[in-house]
This record gives sequence, structure tokens and C-alpha cells, in this order.
Amino acid sequence: MSEYVSLTIDGAKIRAPRGTTVLDAALDYGICIPALCHLRDVTALSGCRLCIVELVKDGRSKVTTSCTLEAEEGMVVLAHSEKIVKARKNIAELLVAEAPNSKAIQDIAVRCGVKKVRYPFRHNNCVLCGKCVRVCKEIWQSESLGFVGRGHNRHVALPYNTRPEYCKHCNYCIDVCPMTIVPCPGSMKKGEEFLCGQCESQLSMAANAPDTCVMCELGAGFGCSRRHT
Amino acid sequence: MTILECPPTVDLDAAKRILQARSGNGQSELIEVLQDVQRTYRYLPEEVLKLIAEQLDVPPIEVFRVANFYKAFALKPKGKHLVTVCMGTACHVRGAPRFLDEVLGQLKIKPGETTEDGLFTVETVNCLGACALAPVVILDGQYHSHMTAAKLRKLIQAAKKADQQATEAVRLDSVKEFNDYRKQKAEAQKSRTTTVILSSGTCGQACDSLKVVEAFRRELKAKNLEKKVALRVTGCHGFCEQEPLLIVEPKNIFYCRIKPEDVPEIVAETLQKNQIIDQLLYTDPATQQKIVHENEVPFYKAQERVVLGQNKLVDPCNIDDYIASGGYSAFLKVATKMEPEAVIAEVKKSGLRGRGGAGYPTGRKWESCRKAKGTPKYVICNADEGDPGAYMDRSVLEGNPHAVIEGMLIGAFAVGAEHGYIYVRNEYPLAVEHCRIAIQQAEKLGLLGQDILGTGFSLDIKIARGGGAFICGESTALMASLEGKVGEPRPKDVHTTEHGYLDLPSNLNNVETWANVPSIINRGAEWFASMGTRHSKGTKIFALTGKIRNTGLVEIPMGTPLRKIIYDIGGGAPDGHKVKAVQTGGPSGGCLPEKMFDLPVDFEALTEAGSMVGSGGMVVMDEDTCMVDVAKYFLTFLSDESCGKCVPCRLGVSRMLEIVTDITHGRGTMEQLDLLRELAETVSLTSLCGLGKTAANPVLSTLKYFLPEYEAHIKKKKCPAGVCRELIHYTIDKKECTGCGLCVKACPHHAIVKQGKFCRIIDANCQKCGICRDVCKFDAILVN
Repeated sequence: MSEYVSLTIDGAKIRAPRGTTVLDAALDYGICIPALCHLRDVTALSGCRLCIVELVKDGRSKVTTSCTLEAEEGMVVLAHSEKIVKARKNIAELLVAEAPNSKAIQDIAVRCGVKKVRYPFRHNNCVLCGKCVRVCKEIWQSESLGFVGRGHNRHVALPYNTRPEYCKHCNYCIDVCPMTIVPCPGSMKKGEEFLCGQCESQLSMAANAPDTCVMCELGAGFGCSRRHT
Repeated sequence: MTILECPPTVDLDAAKRILQARSGNGQSELIEVLQDVQRTYRYLPEEVLKLIAEQLDVPPIEVFRVANFYKAFALKPKGKHLVTVCMGTACHVRGAPRFLDEVLGQLKIKPGETTEDGLFTVETVNCLGACALAPVVILDGQYHSHMTAAKLRKLIQAAKKADQQATEAVRLDSVKEFNDYRKQKAEAQKSRTTTVILSSGTCGQACDSLKVVEAFRRELKAKNLEKKVALRVTGCHGFCEQEPLLIVEPKNIFYCRIKPEDVPEIVAETLQKNQIIDQLLYTDPATQQKIVHENEVPFYKAQERVVLGQNKLVDPCNIDDYIASGGYSAFLKVATKMEPEAVIAEVKKSGLRGRGGAGYPTGRKWESCRKAKGTPKYVICNADEGDPGAYMDRSVLEGNPHAVIEGMLIGAFAVGAEHGYIYVRNEYPLAVEHCRIAIQQAEKLGLLGQDILGTGFSLDIKIARGGGAFICGESTALMASLEGKVGEPRPKDVHTTEHGYLDLPSNLNNVETWANVPSIINRGAEWFASMGTRHSKGTKIFALTGKIRNTGLVEIPMGTPLRKIIYDIGGGAPDGHKVKAVQTGGPSGGCLPEKMFDLPVDFEALTEAGSMVGSGGMVVMDEDTCMVDVAKYFLTFLSDESCGKCVPCRLGVSRMLEIVTDITHGRGTMEQLDLLRELAETVSLTSLCGLGKTAANPVLSTLKYFLPEYEAHIKKKKCPAGVCRELIHYTIDKKECTGCGLCVKACPHHAIVKQGKFCRIIDANCQKCGICRDVCKFDAILVN
């Protein structure tokens, strides 16, 4: 067995090391698939659902998240079909309406083509991407944080809401949090939120080639490292 | 082989309880604790000693020393029966050493040792303090005086024999023994000529069936009829509206809505004099005719009760009933005459599909689990029936748990599983209890456990109770919950048949699916496939509820038109109302309008129409039901029960609810309707698990079939059904109002006053609670 597999994403033939996910393969190649909860080196949560793709198999397509989909030989994936782009835009709109006070999320919204937010803004401080929870558990083996509650009560909390003794004070949870950097126009007050959209000009080329990396600065917020390495 | 009572892995719970009662004083409690542990476990397991050291804060070596020092403590498991021989001076002179040698020779052990079969341990003690009665022996805590060698030998033999009887009487070791047992039980049933069958499931018990049972027991005893009349207390028969039900066999006389007071009359008239009591008979609401026999009741006549029909044949708490009526024969056929592959082929051929909602072909699932690598494998029964409006799983598990167990046995044989779980909602206490009893009885008889009936096949089944989370009905969430984790689903890129419970191959099927399996094996795949439509075979149970005359559980062949279910079986809407729609499939399903009622009920047809078979709930709605409100109800339910892991389901459903709430409050716009539709599509396309993927169905189906109602809410700011409080207005019809003033008294908000001859509603005070409408005898309160 070769160490590499080749697969097709949006028509591009990509060679990727065996065991990588379709999302990582696409990002490395330069196909832009936005994601919020994705972090390399920790288990996929597949919660934000932004990285959805269509997996075409035997003439049928199935929508699944690319962060949990392992690249396999001969796989055919559509990351920017009309259906996917529309759904992704809707999810980005939901996210930015939920937590507009984050540069990362504003950037994702712009990148996904959100022009207008049709829902009332909700000024939430957490979108439950679970990055903090997973780095704490998997990288620092500390498990000081976790998801607590169900459904609309779900939130990130410390055990019994106090910082446990075994918390290593590494602050990695804060480093990975997408909510720590406020949007460029500054912190938005409750009731005064809006869709920033200042960086839309960076995407002038993106309309013609929605699936390729246009070297925008927007990916910094969601961990796309292409422009920055 | 040694049968050690204590399993190799020690259950620490008992030790923890002991420690809890005694902790606090450190080492001074040590010996007391050890005594208690010794009594409970009959030895001091190493794990427990470690725990004790930790809890009492005593160095482990100290505990170990104490445990080794005293004679009362044993570090190895002792036998089931403990023989303590007194070696005091008085006993010594009266000949204790002689019979000690004798008994040791008989058991082939030395003092302090345990026999090879783990049954007896003989110990000596320096003096028991019962010297006047010497020689004294204690066998299992009981003192025996004036012992002689012959007496002791007899005692030991008696203990052995009692043991043997205890195991022999209940455990069946071979197929032949099982068949003999079945014959014997069937004969025993025949000796009674009349059987009184009483339904006492959850619905029955809610209608006082337990008191009826009690009254029957008393009455039969008083009239000395116990030997002639058998009383069978069964689970639910399905006609829940008329509970408690009573059937007198073999004449098939059917009484409904029995009260405890009716019992003496039934016994005196029907059982003793063969007279039928007219006022207890069922009246057909359509023709107003009294119906005598159960099989003539229209509700039952139009059904095909393959699974539910068995409920009245068995007392769920008595395995003998199930065995006498042919139970476990399908399992025997499979285990003795079939190869696992042949079983899977048979189930595949039958076309059985999962009854839990998604309709995945059962045979295919079994096959992929059989092929999956990894041991041990698991079979799991999904009884986490959380859909509001569905309760057939409860009824089957409660009324016929052995059918489910037998189905699981067959499934486990086919996929090669060794362990089983029944994951049942804790909100179903009766089902949990009946399941527990059924498993216990099957284990005792040797129908569960190691080497079942000498076939070499083993399976154990445990019960796991849910903690009240709708999402745990989803397969991956259920397995996470079984592992003791939070019940959140995971992406299903890898199926649970390969990596399920504890990452091992696990075969999960719904209660009804399991209960269908024995009949398929017994009666053949062709028989099963002869019922139903091209892609959906067999029968399916539906819970027919809502605005309908005959509510209850209905089992019909797949492909039966909705119209037949709602009108022929259900009897249509009560009180002259008109059926407007039917909601199928619970929160994952949709609402179908009256014009679609000719649709055959099967997996494909309902899904195509935008609804789903789902778990089988069928809630009938009439013109008093607002479809926007129904959509709001399901969205509220789903937003409460979503696990919150993925964005589309957590945020999408809550936004949909926000929009629909706006519409019901009269704040909606037509643009919002488009947004709602777009959002619904996104949620169903991108959600992580089945809950989210189907969460949009209630919205999409009502939008598709009842758009005018949405438009009325938005454009006219009116709720046509008069449900949405913000959009309705109560008035009093002066033509009908007699000015009786009942409503004035009843209104808790002081919103009605009497004005001259009529009553008048003060709008500012009116909370639109509808109490006035309920009390008005002249239908003078109007809602518009």
C-alpha cells in the first residue's frame, strides 16, 4: 500500500498522505473550506458543520463533514456544489447572528458569502466550538473544562463551576477561543450588532472561483494557516 | 468444575455500603468492617481489602496482617455451606474428633479447606459455648446438637440434595428437557376450562385495573372457582380507550371499562351461569350496536395483530405462559437446526426493516455486524421510546418481554454476540419491572446465560435505564449513554455495527423489530413477506391518538391506506368534528392533510409525502387544531431535546422556533416564511444526527400542505383554528346567551360581567384561557 492516496476534490486531483482528513487535504492543497471547530491534532467534534462536503459514491451523493471524513483512494468530493455553498452560507449566517462579537466568526460569514443577517442578533459569548474543551483534554490531559447541559442549555463549564486544582493554568483554552478577538470596528454593544463585512473586497476574486484559496486574511480566525506560514 | 459463588471480579458496592455505615473511626473499626465483609462475601477479597485500607486510612499491610491473624477471616472464597465443628473440651470428650474425621473423609478435605465443587467448607472452632449440648455443629448458621457421625452425614447429604433440587427444578439443560417442560406447562393450562384475561398494562393500571384484578382474586377464592377458572393478568391489548378490558375465553366474550364493583356480577353471571352482561359490552359508536365477542369489535377486526395479538396470550411476569404458547421454539429451531448465515438470509428474505423509524433492513444490519471484526459483540434493544405520541414499544416490552428476549437470542446467535442490553426509558417503570422479571426467569430456566439448553450458545442480557433524554434513542447517543457518558451522537461515518458500544461491533434494533423476529423464524420469511408493500413488509404497530374516537394501538399490514386506519379502525373524529390532518412519526415526522389519506402507509410513501413512519405515532387532528401551533409545539420539543452539539440543530431549530413563534404572535412577515423554508432545508441537510436531519419535517410538511394557515396568521393576523392566543378574540353570541352567569362565576380573571340579560367579556382582562367556553352550556362563547 502506498503511503499516499489520491482523491478528487472539486475536480482537482489531490495526493494526500493516508490518514489525513478530506478537510486537511483540501486546505493543504488550497481549496478553501471554512471551518470553525476544526483544530489539527485534536479529535474532530464535527459540530459547526461548516466544512460539509458532498461525497459522491456510486452515482449518489451524501452530505457529510470533511473533518471526519478520511481521505480514501479514488474518493470524489464536492466541496462547493450549489447545495453545499448555500447550506454553508446559512450556517455562517446562524453563527454570526448568534455571536457577532468575534472577528473569526465575522470573517467566516464574509468568506461564506453572507451579505445580510436575517435573524435578530443574539450577542452570545460562546458558540460551543469546543476548541477549549478538546485542547484541555487531549493536549494538556487536564479535563478541567467540559460541555455541560443539553440543547439550548449547553455551555462550557468548570467542574462545579470552580477552577479545579488540576487546571494547569496554561491558558491554552483562551488562545484557541475564536471569541477573544473582537471585530475590526471594535467591540459591539448589545443591541448594536451588525455584520462587519469590511473585508469583502479581499474576496473580489472569490466570486469567480469560489473553491480556491484567494490568499485572503480571513482564514486566520478559523485556523486556515495558508497565508500565514 | 468449581462453582464459586463469588465471581472473579468482585462487586465492590456491598463493601462500599459497609464502609459507609462504619467509617469515621479509622483503625478501630477495622475488625468490625472485616467481619461484615466476611459475612457478606464469605471471604475477604483483595480488592475489598485495598478499598478498606484506603477508606479507613489504615496502611495496607496492617489490614493484611489483621485479616491473616484472625481465624474468622478467610482470604480465599469459602464454600457455599459452612460446617463449623466445635472442638471444645465437652465436645471433645463426647466424640467430636471422631465425626470430624468422618466428615472430612466424606468430603475429601482437611479442616479449613473447601471442597472442590465449592459447596462445603469445614472449620473447627475452639468452643462454641454450647457445651451442655455437646457435641455441637453449626451448618449454615444453624446449631445442631448431640451430633453423631451418622447425623452429620445425613445433614450434609440433605444440604447437597436441597442444592440440587434448587438448581434442577428450574434449570433446563437440554432441548429435550425444554420440550418436556413445555408439554407439562401446556397440560397444566388445559386443566382449567375457563380463562379470564384482564389487561393491566400502564393504561389499564391508570384505569384501576389493579383493583379489578384484586377483586377477581377475592371473588374467585370466595366462590371456590380457583381450580376451574384461570385468571391471566396481561399487558396492554391495544384498545386503550376502553381500558380495563376483560376477555372470557374460550367463549371470547369481551367486556370493557370494567370497574371493581362489576366483578362479583361477572363471576356470578358470566362465569357461573354463562350469562352475558349487556351493560358491560362494547357499543359500536357508529351503529350503536352491542358487540359480544372480541373478534367482532370493528377496532380489532380491521387489524392484523401479529405482535400485539400475543399480548393477551401471556402473563408477562410468568415465563411458563410464554413457553406454553410456543415461545422460545423459534430460538430452539435456530440454535439446533440453522447456521447463523441461514438465519440472516431468512431475515433478509422476509424484508423486515427497522421499526424504530429509519427503516434500515434488519437482515443487512445483522450481516454487517456478523462480518465486523472484534469480540465480544453486543446485541442491544432500543426501548428509549421518547417520541411524544408513540408507546407501542412500551406496550410490547410490558406485555410480552419474552418475545423481545427471544428475538434478541436469535439475533445474537446470528451475529455472534455474547452480551445483550435492553436500554429502556426510566419513565416506563412497568416495562423496566417486567423486563427485569422476564430476564430473571429466563436466566433461572437456563434460557439465558452460559451454554443455553446445551446448545453451546451463550448470551446474557442486562437492563440499562435511560436518564430522560430524547436524543438517547439515536443509536450512537444510546451507546455513549450505555458507556456511562453524556448521550451525544457522533458522526456515523463508521457504523455502530462495526464500532458501537465500547467500540465493539454492536447490533441495535428497536423493541418491535426484535419482537417480530421469532414469528419470522417460526412461520417463515415468505409468510412475513406476503404482508405489506413492495419495499415495506410485514405489519407495523401505530399509536392512534388525538382527536379520534377509538384511541389505542393499531397493528396493520404495511401499505394500509391512512383512510382505513383513521376511519375504519379509529372511527373518525368524535362529536361530529371533521378530521383535518394526521401527524405521523412524532417530532421527526410531518402532518399529512385529509386529501392525502389514500396514501398507503409504508416507509417510502410517507417519506415521499414529507412525513415518516418514524416510531409509529399517529396523532389525528381536527379543525380545532392549528397547524402553525403544531409546528411550534414540535420545534419547542426539539429545541429542548437537541443535544446541542451541532450548530444547525442547536441554532437552526431555535431560530425556526423564533420565526414560528413570531408568526403565531402575529408578528410574522412573508419574507420570514421564505427564510423558514430555507433554514429548514439547511437544518435537514447539514445536521449531525437523525434528530436534526428530520427536525425540519414538522415545519416543511405543514408549510407544504397548510400554507394558507400560515398566510392567515401573517396576512390576516388570524388563527383559523382559534388556538394561537395572541390572535384570537373571545366574544359572546347574544343569540345563544341566556345570561345564566355560569361563565361569570367561572372566569378566574374577572373578565366577564353580566350586563342586562347577557354576559359581556372585558377584553382588557381576558387571558384567553377558554374556561368560559368549557362551562357554557349553550355554546354561546365564540372564538375568532
